[in-house]
Amino acid sequence: MKEKERADVVCLGYFLKKKNLLPYLEFLQKEKGFQVLVPLANSNGATCFEELSEENSKKIFLDSRAFFSAKKFFLPNREREFLFEKKAPSFKVHETVKHRQKVVFGLRSCDLHALNALDKLFLDFYGYDSLYRNKRNTCLTIGLECSKPGKNCFCDSMGTSKPDFFDLFFWEKKDGFFVEIGSVEWERLYCKKFFEQTRETKNKPMEKCGLKLDTENLEQILEKNFEHKIWASEAERCLSCSSCTQICPTCYCFTIEDFFIPCSKDSERFREWDSCQLQQFTKVHGGVFRSSRKSRLRQFVMHKLSFFRQQHSVHLCVGCGRCIEACPVKISLVEIARQIQKNPIGGN
Amino acid sequence: MHDFESPLKPELAEILRVKQETPSIKTFTVRFLDKKKQKQFSFLPGKFMMASIFGFGEMPISISSSPYQKDSLQLTVNPVGNISRKICSLEKGSVIGLRGPFGRGYPIQKFRKKNIVFFSGGCGMASMRSAVFAVTAKKELFGKLFLFHGCKSPSELLFAEDIAKWEKEENFNVFVSVDVPSPSWKGNSGFVTDLIGKVDLPIEDTFVLMCGPQAMMNIAIEKFKGHGFKPEQLYSSLERLMHCGVGKCGHCNIGKEFVCVHGPVFSGLELEKMHLKEG
Repeated sequence: MKEKERADVVCLGYFLKKKNLLPYLEFLQKEKGFQVLVPLANSNGATCFEELSEENSKKIFLDSRAFFSAKKFFLPNREREFLFEKKAPSFKVHETVKHRQKVVFGLRSCDLHALNALDKLFLDFYGYDSLYRNKRNTCLTIGLECSKPGKNCFCDSMGTSKPDFFDLFFWEKKDGFFVEIGSVEWERLYCKKFFEQTRETKNKPMEKCGLKLDTENLEQILEKNFEHKIWASEAERCLSCSSCTQICPTCYCFTIEDFFIPCSKDSERFREWDSCQLQQFTKVHGGVFRSSRKSRLRQFVMHKLSFFRQQHSVHLCVGCGRCIEACPVKISLVEIARQIQKNPIGGN
Repeated sequence: MHDFESPLKPELAEILRVKQETPSIKTFTVRFLDKKKQKQFSFLPGKFMMASIFGFGEMPISISSSPYQKDSLQLTVNPVGNISRKICSLEKGSVIGLRGPFGRGYPIQKFRKKNIVFFSGGCGMASMRSAVFAVTAKKELFGKLFLFHGCKSPSELLFAEDIAKWEKEENFNVFVSVDVPSPSWKGNSGFVTDLIGKVDLPIEDTFVLMCGPQAMMNIAIEKFKGHGFKPEQLYSSLERLMHCGVGKCGHCNIGKEFVCVHGPVFSGLELEKMHLKEG
């Protein structure tokens, strides 16, 4: 191994035997009192993160990244923001505060980078969002190495294949995991019984995704090709079903809606996932700003690969390929971007 | 874990007065129940509030009162959607939720010693009224003032009393135009954008503040540019759907800008770079 490569992989850490993985997670749950979230294989074939229990502990799925990301634990699909208690003639506003300590195990590098992108918006952009911050501050993350990329994965192109922003990261080794320490909070996850001293080092990040995308200057290239003909031609297939935005680990847009509590004068304010693929997303009383399917598909791709990068210096796309997998008509944002790069307005 | 106040949490406010402006539009004078909050409240014209009717929802409304009015603020509401219709059904003494102010207003400090053209259409007069109040309160600091306002018919004219007062002021030229005049209407008729170019406006050292329907603003911006105004002399307010007001919910996104935090007021230079159509 070359000297430079060696410096890249040597770090402090421990060793966890493979047979101790489940006992360790149960230790976190029972001894440390965490709510432990793990990727599980459902009977219908979809994989998603759920709370670990005795019944489902055999279904833990570690072969590849989960189909559904862990987004719902930070941005739930539906969540109560406020309760408005009517106290005639006025009201009392109650805020929702939840803070059960959580550990999410099995986040892949792309999922960790997705959380970082959300952090940029919800913690550090014109003030923070208290609902998100509550959940983020009470959550520790344990990452897991991704050694077999999926056929739609392109994280090495997006610069998200190198794990970062974790508390602990598990590198796959023979018979176990090398546990890398990533934050000052790691001690809360330490277990003397299972963590062994080791001379192992971390592996090199994966660089063998089948799908490739050249991201150099991509945000400017897309910006210049806002009127490219591909938007209209791809939109002809698009169903505006919003599968892409639901499955995306970084799609965060939400609506805020009020509901009365039946048989009472109190009401609740909910926050719910919304999608830029739906017409009502930009509806005002004079009309809809993004009325064409073309403009809505373009908003999704441009927000992922151009707009967010211009605002926050990272792409809102982490290359997990979930949107490509979920699309019923197989529209691929990688393919759109590559077509534009190949054949930009005004030629190369 | 309550070490912070959520910017999404509405404060309670009481409706002090309701004024019928046109057959449909009403102006509500409101005051925060929390005296300290009311005392600390300050804003720049062009900024907006999020008003809640608990159980019905929340909507953005621009502030139509003077920033120098400290004991209360005014919100002018056109009943066109579920929430605005509900607000318009409320009476004096009702309690609503308010949070804000949000966004970026008109940079009035920048206009000192300069001429100002106020240009508004329809309900855009609401935030323009606030800007006019802010400027006329310290009139000696500014140059010549012009107001252009267009609306559908004389009965749809907002703040007619205020406009009558401004007409009488020195150094303030007011032009109101209605699309469809009534028999008793003595003023201009036709689109207000047609007045650009017909009225002799100083171009040097002049700033134009605009607020109104998007289609009308697009025409106005083109016409002002055609008459020699540079984009950096123009400021226009944009309308988008908004749910949070703090740049999180994603609805008001246009390119790399969020209208709720980077706007609603944008300079002509910024507008040129934005994908306003279908963006």
